[in-house]
This record gives sequence, C-alpha cells and structure tokens, in this order.
Amino acid sequence: MKRRQFLDQLGSGFGGLALAGMLQTDGLLAATASPGIGGAVEVLHHPPKAKRVVQLFMGGAASHLDLFDYKPSLEKHHGEKSDFGEHVEAFQNGLGPWMKSPFSFRQYGECGKHLSEVVAPLGDVADEMAFVHNMVGRTGVHSQATYLQSTGFDTPGFPGMGSWISYALGNMNENLPTFVVLPDRRGFASNGPKNWGAAFLPTHHQGTIIRPGTENPIADLIPRAKYVSKVGDARALQLLTKLNREHQASRPGDSRLEARIRSYELAAKMQLSAPEALDISGEPKHIIDMYGLSDGQKEFSKEINPVEETDYFGRKCLVARRLLERGVRFVQIWSGNDNGFPRRNWDSHEDIKRDHGPLAMGMSHGAAALIKDLKQRGMLEDTIVLWTTEFGRMPSTQGSKGRDHNPYVFTNWLCGGGIKGGTTYGPSDQWGYKPLDRENPTQVYDIHATILHLLGIDHRKLIVRHNGIDRRLTDVHGHLIDDLIT
Amino acid sequence: MQQFAIRFVLPVIPLVVLVSSSESAADDEFFRNRVATIFQEQCLRCHNDAEHKGDFSLQSSASAFQDGYVEAGDAAASHLVELITPVDGKSKMPKNADPLSPGDVAAIRKWIDAGAEWPVELKLTEPSVADLNWWSLQPLKRPAVPDIWNARKKINDSVSAKHPSRLQLRTEVDAFIQDTLTKKGLQASPEAARRTLIRRLYFDLIGLPPTPGQIEAFVSDEQPRAYERLVDHLLDSSGFGERWARHWLDVVHYADTHGYDKDKLRPNAWPYRDYVIRSFNDDKPYGRFVREQIAGDVLWPDTVDGITATGFISAGPWDYIGHAEVPESKIDGKVARNMDRDDMVTSTMNTFCSVTVQCARCHNHKFDPIMQEHYYSLQSVFAALDRADRTYDADPQTAARRRELVARKESLVKEKTRLDAVVAERAGERLAPINAKLTELQKQKAAAGGAKLEFGYHSNIAKSQTTVKWVQVDLGKPTPVTSVHYVGCHDTFNGIGHGFGFPLRYRIEASDDESFKSGVTTLADHTQADVPNPGTNPLSQIAPAELKARFVRVTATKLAPRQNDFIFALAELSVLTPDGSNAASGKRVTSLDSIQAPVRWQRKNLVDGYYFGVTASSDIQDRIAELMNERTVILASVLGDKLNSQMAENESAIKATGIAINALPAQSKVYAGMIHHGKGNFVGTGANGGKPRVINVLHRGNVQQPRDIVRPGTIPVISNVDWQFQLAETHNEADRRVALAEWIVRRDNPLTWRSIVNRVWQYHFGRGIVASPNDLGRMGQLPSHPELLDWLAVELRDGGQSLKTLHRLIVTSSVYRQASTYAGTNSQIDSGNAYLWRMNRRRLTAEEVRDSVLFVSGKLDRTMYGPGFRLFVLEHPQHSPHYEYHKHDPDDPASHRRSVYRFIGRSQPDPFMMTLDCADSSQSVPRRDETVTALQALSLLNNKFMLRMAEHFSDRLHVESNTSTEHIRRAFQLATGRDPTVEQTVALKEYASEFGTANLCRLIFNLNEFVFVD
Repeated sequence: MKRRQFLDQLGSGFGGLALAGMLQTDGLLAATASPGIGGAVEVLHHPPKAKRVVQLFMGGAASHLDLFDYKPSLEKHHGEKSDFGEHVEAFQNGLGPWMKSPFSFRQYGECGKHLSEVVAPLGDVADEMAFVHNMVGRTGVHSQATYLQSTGFDTPGFPGMGSWISYALGNMNENLPTFVVLPDRRGFASNGPKNWGAAFLPTHHQGTIIRPGTENPIADLIPRAKYVSKVGDARALQLLTKLNREHQASRPGDSRLEARIRSYELAAKMQLSAPEALDISGEPKHIIDMYGLSDGQKEFSKEINPVEETDYFGRKCLVARRLLERGVRFVQIWSGNDNGFPRRNWDSHEDIKRDHGPLAMGMSHGAAALIKDLKQRGMLEDTIVLWTTEFGRMPSTQGSKGRDHNPYVFTNWLCGGGIKGGTTYGPSDQWGYKPLDRENPTQVYDIHATILHLLGIDHRKLIVRHNGIDRRLTDVHGHLIDDLIT
Repeated sequence: MQQFAIRFVLPVIPLVVLVSSSESAADDEFFRNRVATIFQEQCLRCHNDAEHKGDFSLQSSASAFQDGYVEAGDAAASHLVELITPVDGKSKMPKNADPLSPGDVAAIRKWIDAGAEWPVELKLTEPSVADLNWWSLQPLKRPAVPDIWNARKKINDSVSAKHPSRLQLRTEVDAFIQDTLTKKGLQASPEAARRTLIRRLYFDLIGLPPTPGQIEAFVSDEQPRAYERLVDHLLDSSGFGERWARHWLDVVHYADTHGYDKDKLRPNAWPYRDYVIRSFNDDKPYGRFVREQIAGDVLWPDTVDGITATGFISAGPWDYIGHAEVPESKIDGKVARNMDRDDMVTSTMNTFCSVTVQCARCHNHKFDPIMQEHYYSLQSVFAALDRADRTYDADPQTAARRRELVARKESLVKEKTRLDAVVAERAGERLAPINAKLTELQKQKAAAGGAKLEFGYHSNIAKSQTTVKWVQVDLGKPTPVTSVHYVGCHDTFNGIGHGFGFPLRYRIEASDDESFKSGVTTLADHTQADVPNPGTNPLSQIAPAELKARFVRVTATKLAPRQNDFIFALAELSVLTPDGSNAASGKRVTSLDSIQAPVRWQRKNLVDGYYFGVTASSDIQDRIAELMNERTVILASVLGDKLNSQMAENESAIKATGIAINALPAQSKVYAGMIHHGKGNFVGTGANGGKPRVINVLHRGNVQQPRDIVRPGTIPVISNVDWQFQLAETHNEADRRVALAEWIVRRDNPLTWRSIVNRVWQYHFGRGIVASPNDLGRMGQLPSHPELLDWLAVELRDGGQSLKTLHRLIVTSSVYRQASTYAGTNSQIDSGNAYLWRMNRRRLTAEEVRDSVLFVSGKLDRTMYGPGFRLFVLEHPQHSPHYEYHKHDPDDPASHRRSVYRFIGRSQPDPFMMTLDCADSSQSVPRRDETVTALQALSLLNNKFMLRMAEHFSDRLHVESNTSTEHIRRAFQLATGRDPTVEQTVALKEYASEFGTANLCRLIFNLNEFVFVD
C-alpha cells in the first residue's frame, strides 16, 4: 500500500495527523521535506515563498469600479448613453448610461495606486499589494461564479482551494484545524459550505467553520448538558482509551484503531487550544484599536452601517491572525451572505453607495489591519493574502444608482508571501468593461496556479484521480503570473 | 493496491495505416507518422479551423502554410520553429504548457528542412480513441469456474483437518477466490465466530445492530443452515431496502434541495427515495430497475414505480438561478441548461455503465472510445427534459379515468373552437367590441366583489338531470312586484368558478299559494331550450303589470351537471316592489330540498343580499347585463336554435368535464426529469409539445461555438451495434429515452452487468473487484478477479436478474465468513487484502452510527417511507433558505426515524453527518470515505444528539435492569454484542457511580468497538 493511499484512508490532516505522527514516531515514514504533517506532497516541488494563505471572499460580487479600478473615463462621460461597441448580455439587462463611482478616488503609497475613499484604510499598505484588474469569469450567475472562484470549477462537486492546500501540505498544528472558514454572521454566501467542502478529498480537508464571539465557536467543541463535567470527561477519556486499547490488542495490524484512540486525545487538546486561539481579550489596546474593535459595541443600527461592518470584519481578521500564528494553514473570511432583501452583500443592483459604502469600509479597515499586523510580526513574508469576489459590476447603471453583473472583467488583489507589492497588473479597458487586452485575460486558474507556486507546489502535479478522471485545482488550465512574484 | 495502478500508452488512432518505415523526411510518410502526431497532440487543440487561435490553424496544409509560419526547406527561417524552440527552458508555444521535447522540435525542423511535405488531402483531427481493446469492453461470457469447484466435496472434507487455511467451497465465489489465493501463496482466514458473523450480517444487510436476544438465538442455534436462514431473514426484512437504497442514493447523488446558490427545498424528491427502497425490498429484476429510472414513465406509465423512478434523472443538483432568472436565449441560460443535461448524462452513464462519458464534453475522451459526438448524442436523449414536479395518480384506475376525461375535454375544447369560429365568421365584427367591453367590466367586477363565503342555496344532489327542483321566498304577505333579479353562484373551491349549479332550463313564477298549485303567474319560462350559463352576472325579469304575490319561486327543470350527478344552486333572489325596495331581503326561504352546509350553503343565503361581485357598482352590473343581452340577441339571430343549443351543450359539457377532473382524487407529486410546462424564463419544452431541443456538438464545450447537430445515440462500445439510435423521423423524446434504456440493459452491453455486480461486491467487502466502481475504463483500476467479476455478471444477467440472489451468493460464501484477523505473512504479499485472505474490518457509516445510537437508546422509530424528517430549523425559506442545524431539538420524535429518511440539504448539508463521512450529494459517491479525525471524536462526544441519546440509553437501562452491574452488561450487549469482562465491569461501575449512567452510555457510544464491525 502506498503511503498516500494509506493516509487517505485513515485521515491525514487535522486529527488524522495523529496517525501520521504515530507512523513517524514508529519510523514507518521517512522524514520528509513536506512542511506540514500528513500532506500529500511529500517533497515540495520547489522552494516555497509562503506557508499560509488568507482568502477574503466578497459574496455577491464586489464592484472593481468603485473600489480599486479607477476609471477617469466614467467620470468624464458620466450620464452619457453607454456604448460598449458590441452587443452585451447583462444579467438583468442593466445597461443604462455610463455611471461614475459615487466614491472619490485618490492616490496612495509610493506606487501611487488610486483607491476609492471607501477602501482608504488600505492606502497604508498599497505598496504591499498587487492588483490584477483583468480577471474574467465564465458566467454572470452567482452560484457558478462563486464555485468557480472558490473551487476552480463552476459546478458543484469540487474541493475548495483551502481543501486542496490542506490536502497537499497538511497541518502545522495538530491541535487546530488546517483550513478554517469564518463565514459572514448573517448567513452563507451562494452555495454555502460547498465552497469549502472537501468533495472527493478526504472529509477532514473541508473547511472548519469558526464563529468567533459566539457561544459555540466550533460545532461540538464543548458539551452542553447538565450531566457532563470536565472531571468526568477527563476520567472518561482515560477509561475510553483503556477499553479501546484492550479492543485493539486482539486486533493487530489495523492502524485505524490506533488513529481513533489518538483522535480522542487530540480532541481533548483542541478543547483547550481552540478557545485560547479565539480569545482576543488579552490583545493590547493598540491592536484592538487597529482592527477597529474599540467600541466593543454589541447593539447596532438595523440599517447596514460601517461601524457594525468594521466590528464584525475586523474581529474575523484579528481571529484569523491568531489562528495563523498558531499554525492554521488556510483561513477564508467571507463578507456578505445570500442575495436577499434588504441587501446583505455586495450584489448592488439597486444602490452601490448604500451597500458598497459600509461593506467596503468594514472590509478595508479589517484587511488593512491584518496586513499591517502580519507585517509587524514578520508573518507577512510567508503569508499570502488574496482578495477575491464572484465577478465585477458593469460601468453602466442599473436603475439609477446600481450596477449589474460583469463577469467580463473584475479585480483581485494579493499581497504578502512572495507577492511583488505596489504592482498593478493586467489593466481593464477604459470603461472597466473587459480586459484591455482581450486575448490575454487572467483567470482564476492563474491565480490558483500562482498561489500554489508560492507555496512550493506545481499546480500541474497536484493531482487526485476521482471517478476515473485526474483532477487538479486548476483543471487543465492555469499559468503562473510571473509579474506578481518577487 | 499499487499492483492495480497502471499507466497506458495512449492508443491514438493512426491517421493512416503505417506503410513505410522509411525515416526520410522528404517522404510524406515522415509527416504522417511523426510530425502530424505532434501537431495533433500538442497544437491542434487551439490551432484548428474552428478556433484559429493566433489566426493560425494546423488542420490542413492550406491553412498551415497560408500565413507564412513555415518556410518550406528552411527551418531556421520559419517562424513556427522560433515559436516552439525553448529559450531558458520556456517556449512561446505551446502556450501555458511545457515546451516540446527536443526530439519533437528536431523532427519538425527536419520535416521543414526537407521541404515540409504535407499531402493536400490529409486533414488532421484531434486524437481520439476508437479501439475496444480493453477488458471491460470485451463481450461478456461466462468463465469456467476453477476446477477445484468440481472437487469441492473432497476438498471440503479435508479442509478443516488437513487444510485449515483453505476456504470451504460453499459457493462458486469461494472457488474463484481460493484459486487466486493459492496462486498468490496466501492463506485464507478461519471462519469468524458467530457473534462476529451476526453483527457483520446485520450491519451489512440492514444497517442496524442485532439485539442481544437475536445474538443469543443465533449463537445457540444448532440447526443446520442456521447462517443461511439468518441471511434469508435479513434479506426479507424491510431494513434491507433501507440499508441498500442508501448505497444507491450515494451513487445517484440524491438530495432534497436543489443545491447551488439558494439551495431551495425540493419537497417532492422523496418518492424517488421510497421507490429505491421498495425496489430493493421487492427484489425487482435489475434490468427493469434500470429501465424504470430512465424511461419508466413511458414503459410503465400507470404504475407508481414507473413514474417515481424517473426521479433518478432529476436527483442531482439544479441551478435555480441559472434557469429561473436567465432565459434559454441568453448565453448564461444556455450554459445552465447545458450543465443540467451534462448532469443527467453523466449520472446515467456513470451509474449504470461505470464509464466517464463526461470527459468528452469538451474534447474527445483521451482514454476511452468516446468522441464528442457520442457524448452530445447522449445529451440529445435528454434534450426535451427539465427537472420539475411531476403529478401522477397513485391509483391506476384514477390515472385511466383522468386520461379519458382530459381527452374528452380536449375534444370538447376543439369543438368549442369550431363553434367559436362559426360565431366569429357570422357575427365576429359585431361581437368583438362587446366581448372586449365585457372582459373589462368582468375584471372591474371581480376586483370589486369580495370573497365572502356565503355562496347561496344548493339543492340536494339528483341522479337524473331532469329531476325538478325548486326554491322560493315567502314575502310574508301579498306584495306588489315590479321585477325579479337573480344571480348564479361563485364557488372558490376547485376552480369551479362562476355560474356553479345554474340550471340549464328553469322558470320563475309568482303565486299567493305556497304550493304553487293555483293562481300562478309565470314571469319567465326557459324550460324549452337550454340557456347559456350566465356566470355571476345578475339576471332580471320584469313582472307583468300589477302583479301582486306572496311567494316567488324558481323551478329548475334541467339541472346543472356535476361529475356523475346533477344539482341546482342559486346565489341570490331579490324581488323589487314599485318603490324599488327588495321585498325578499331576509325573508323565509323554502325549497324542495337543500344541502344545509353553513356558511357556504344554506337557504337563507339566497336572500342575504350577497353574491359574487355585489359590491361592484350597479352601473357595472347594468352594463354587463346589457351587453350580455345584446350578445344573446345577436347570437340568436345569427346562429339559430340548433347552433345555439349546441353551444350551450358544449359549454356545459366542458364545465362538467372540468368539474369531473377536479373531483378525482388528488394527484401525487414527484420531482422528476420531465417535459416542463413553465412560465417566465424557465419555460421548458412543454409549450413546444415536448419537442427535444436541438443539440449540437459544442466545440470545447462552449455554448457559443456550436458545431454539427447530433442525433440521439450513445457510446460505441458494443461491436456491431450502431451507436446512433435507429429511430423514425417522427419519433418523440420518449422514444429516445426508451432506446437508451434498452441499450443499457442489452445482454451484450459489456459494461452494465459488470458495473452492478462490482458495486454489490464492493459494499459487502469494502472494495470492489474493480476498485474504481464508477470507472471501468482505461483510467480506472484493473479487476483483481476478472473471471469472478464476469461470472457474477453473467449469473446476474441470465439468472433472473435478482440482486437478492447475488447478495445471497456472496454473503453465504466462505470468503465473506472469514475472520478479519490480521496475518503478517499474508500481509507481506497483499497488505491491502485485494485477494481477500481475510474479511475487511470497517467503520460504520454516518447513517449506521446515527441509526444504531437511536436503536440502542430505544428511540428508533421504524416507520417507513414518506417526506423526509428535518434535522434543522428552516429559516428564511422564501428567498434563500437557511438550514439551522444547531437549532434542531434532538428530542423531536419525528427525527427518530432511520437516517435514510432524513431531509438532505445539498449546499448546506448536516454537519454532524458530514463529519462522519456521509455522502456529498453534489457528486456521485460510489464509495464512502472512512476517515478518523478529532472533529469526529468531538461530534460523537459532544453533539447534542449524542448527549441526549446517552440519557435515553441510560433511562432504558434503568427500566430494563436494576443494578449497576446489570446496566453495564446490558449496555455492552446492546452496543457491542458481547458481555463486558469482569475487570471492565469493575472499572465502568466505578465510573458510573461517580459520574452517572448517562456519562457511562456516552462513553460506550465512543468505543472503537461500537463504531467498527469486524
């Protein structure tokens, strides 16, 4: 039996690493160059520049035009009849006049990047960031687009990027999950947990949902029953281990039995380490301030508002930093939930200013704090931050103040681990309607290939055969974006 | 395992037969044999006539040479060579791929230098695979059972004495397995203990543990064939279908929500789940099982199974937004529908044939003989279908009656169309403005009329239409009458609508004699010819001058028809006096008979002043009456009595048929693959008569690059059988699905029978004879026991196609009865146990864990079938449902049924079940993962379901026994099937005394022994 198959069967990541640890202790596995425990990539394909990833995902489709992709042409021709020079299919036929952003732009950093006023906090770290303005999607349908950006495929049934990375690189701290998801407090975005599902990879590579600040931040971490006590559970663990060992003694040659015994020990450790990782009460005031959590406010206006957005997003960013510090490999932070009314996400068909304003203020405050905080701890150099969304929004109006879907061009940005800061790559055209160079757009495969590359993985070699088909995160596509890499 | 992992050289079709071994580059054979292959495999994907990337195509010499990429005779000067020659390890072409090998570059240079010979007629195509030279595509023949089978008596006699490490040859399965074990030098394991066997059989066949009583009975059963009888008992139990249906539902990726964006509920998916359970319990022949799921609605239209089986086609995810918000005319709408058909095709061919046909959506299959046109010909089979709720009659007689009535109504409507045409021809111009005004006024009236429930007076039901019925009002004293006004009923139920119960013939009379025997004045007489139904338009009759009477009576002489009988109903009767007041208001009403069913129907409703549209202004009422009159006059003048009466008859017959249809028992619903009659963006093909959509080969799978139109067909894997279906030009969509279903179950289909026996084998042993159950193709695994696989396949196909017989053959074998004990010597030869020198130990599935916990706790409700129970609280169902699992109350008794009946969310699955490796319904899951993680440990320790059930388990123990020692013994028997040791009892007793029995039960639920089966 191959080691890989063996570990697959038994579970090799979070929890399953009990087994890997055991095998290493027993000398069954040679020491490998893999940076994590239980990763499928035993020896990295090349020296890595990063070890960890944070993905910031904007549900509903955040507008490139109102945040990061400054278009003077729209200011000049605002209100004029839009003319795309070709037939355009828009999701809800939102092809009104050209519409400038309701937000003002100014330049930041040595690179002089234009940023919108609602993401002004990111101005402080503009020189760390690399923007890709020529992202293209495949369709303007939320579900398909969300799948595409999260899993690399536009249909269900494929593992999220974090799952692939967990599978490839394994864990760095056996007491915490490898891949953590911090959902929007209001609910899931399109496709819900399927965006971070393990699909055909072993289940433990799925993202583990953590809800910081709630009674049960991790499902089933703590028992809620009157008859349960800590002392009783500690004694039970001893007794359980004893009984399981007796059972195991008459059943040699089955490492699953050992792995399961160890999984209970790990579970107990996690009950201690997870709450500690999530507890921000010991953070100094200047850190709390930096993330915008100073108010400690619990009651917010019912209307969508920047104070609340900053509080929730900032809290997730701070928790993300604490998790990364403790060895979590991949953190996915969501902003915006399903497409309902009133808008609770970035799908601003009706009013860009109303939704994008507060959402962007909250997002940018937290994201900027996270980048600065990682940097001051020396962690930014091996942590990649990726900001992404479903697709962009049209340069024309829908109604009078909203924008329709634009799968033809949108923006991603990256920073940290091996990313060349102060970069603007792949411009969109003067309207922000399509890439300037339509023949050479950037696709999610290229972003994924680049991130895997920075982690020391050749995206063409990370393959799992499933139901007779060799599957990759990048399908049959993807190329490195050299211009983004230091 | 790795001995089955294999790599292949691609069996690419040679362009032409290789006729020359000459390596001269000037010879065009060099091009054919060497260079063309490079172009085909490395370049053609983008540089073809269709795609023309970089304005360059390498499909023919004309296109290749036209833009000067190649300077014949001078490789160094050729732009092509510059593009493919790597600099610093990178070349411009092939784009986004590794550079060509130095050998390939050299070959191209050599070819150009030699003059770039390219025969004009030679057009290159992308590589494809055509040969059937692969084990799973060979015709299925019954292999000989190994010789040892013939000598089994002798061998079996000596097994226990001389050869304890050989299998008793109980079924042919043993002969095949033993034969391989011998060849590989492996020793079989001894038979497991009965306590182990019964636990193994119970979980394997019904998914639940045996009770202590059942275990003891089996262990002490000294009758011969005790094991076989146990097997029969379990195969006959209803739990068998429940357990094995779950396997099937994994493969077909069944769920109760759509998945994708909103993950909306699919409330009528469950009848398909029930169908699978029922089919397995009934041991439905496999061929029929297959055909029902693809075309049961066509082949067995009047059966519940025939209809509900087609839930297979719709079992997978559905992109609600991509269909409901984007029309088929838009690109995104086309993409959504293309992907939807892809799911149908993929699911069908993966499930029944274990072939990865979906690879050919974007390009020819790289390993198996499937080209794009084959794949799209399969899409064409499903091209008329969408996923939607299908209504059906569970009772075949009702179904037949409904068909008859619908047909009758259709022909009546046709007749109406004909009559309308006559009317239009004779009086169209005069009637059109009247009808338009009437429609508008009716709208205004409907808007004004409240929806009060006091419908009116309703007679008893009569068997004969000519039964005479009357209703009358007593004005209290002889009263001067100037006119009588009366209105038909409106029943909001069953869509009966306006004019309900209004008689076809009637008269109105006035008298001072309550019995109307003397002094009768006739106000209106409509007894000689049928009158058109007035709907709810008020009618009026002027009284003769100076009329004075105490009673006014309406007598129906020809009643209004219902389904099989007749009635008379009237909403309102008013009698106006010279001062304009209504003398009837609130007065006593009498009648021949009456259905008194307040508030809707009672006599006094006749004079309560309310009727449908009453609040509309009298102006509207008057104008309607006026126009109706005008219309009647026109019709009478142009049509004559005969046609007029025909029209009235037609109208009442349509109404009667509609009522009859409404009166049939309510129909059932199943979410199925069907012709959809929709509105808005999601219209389906219903409006088009269910005509299949035109399907083209899509270049690169791109809906914006349609190529040739395809006809319905399948994959070319049966020699001498045309892959295109032979269907008449006039065929309909149903014929296509029937053709595919019949093709799949052909005796000579090499995949179908191998696929199913391999699946069954896998679920029994944890691993298939072919370890890739959804792929028997070249990317799949090789069979460990190819002859056994074929023998089982033929046995199933030719032996009545009974799956239960197949199960029996497998589980009664000695192979299956082996202990799961590890043996170092065997392990060195076959560590993965591919050759089955022992039984495989396995962890319980998510469903088995949950069901066992309920069962052991004494809480399991064995009610079968019906809508799924919910393990969540549903919030925001209107827009994007939120499935709040953490809010579910584990004590909700509705949720104590077996897990196969749970409502399965697709995008938002149950986290507890997912942690235990339940199937992900986004995709086909032919085999469950079996992981061991800390999150699992946390779930089994701390999930509120586990915590509550531990308490119930504890309560049960306290009811069933008295002492702590007995509690522990009973708990162990229930959960693990054995008694605890003395030492274990002591330790657990001490623990229980300190921390309580519930904590003890919780501990037992977490034992390895509870979640593993030996």
